[in-house]
Amino acid sequence: MKHILKILALLVAISACWIGLLQVSVIPESYTWLLPLYFIVSLGCYGILMVGVGLMQFPTCPQEALLLHQDILEAKDFLKNKGVDVGSN
Amino acid sequence: MDLADKAVGLLLSGISLSVFTYYTFWVIILPFVDTDHFVHKYFLPQEYAILIPVFALVALLCFLCMFVGYVMLKSKKKKA
Repeated sequence: MKHILKILALLVAISACWIGLLQVSVIPESYTWLLPLYFIVSLGCYGILMVGVGLMQFPTCPQEALLLHQDILEAKDFLKNKGVDVGSN
Repeated sequence: MDLADKAVGLLLSGISLSVFTYYTFWVIILPFVDTDHFVHKYFLPQEYAILIPVFALVALLCFLCMFVGYVMLKSKKKKA
């Protein structure tokens, strides 16, 4: 419950800032109307950018993959000798 | 396999950066430019700058609601 209240308080604060910005005409009015939409679009863009950057920097560890394959083969042989049916997939 | 990942990552970052710069230019810089400058040819009329994101948001919300409804229906059918 407290978490929802915190999020709601944040939203109310942001809308108060926006309405305040509308009243004080420092920026031309047409800009102030488009500002929330601009922030939403830029937030979405930032999310996609972070996903793309994370994808590009994802480590694959090829040596670990090789060791893992060897471990799998070892385990299969061991289990087959003990009589367990491993079945290749 | 990691080359495909890198290519997809690069594509996503490229798309996001280009969308961001295009939208920033559209909303912030273009109103300051005189109406007979040639650069206005490359940008759609300003009403679309509002319509397209709002339409995309509404479409995303509809898709989410449909997906949640579909999953709920499927789980209810499996239980009954």
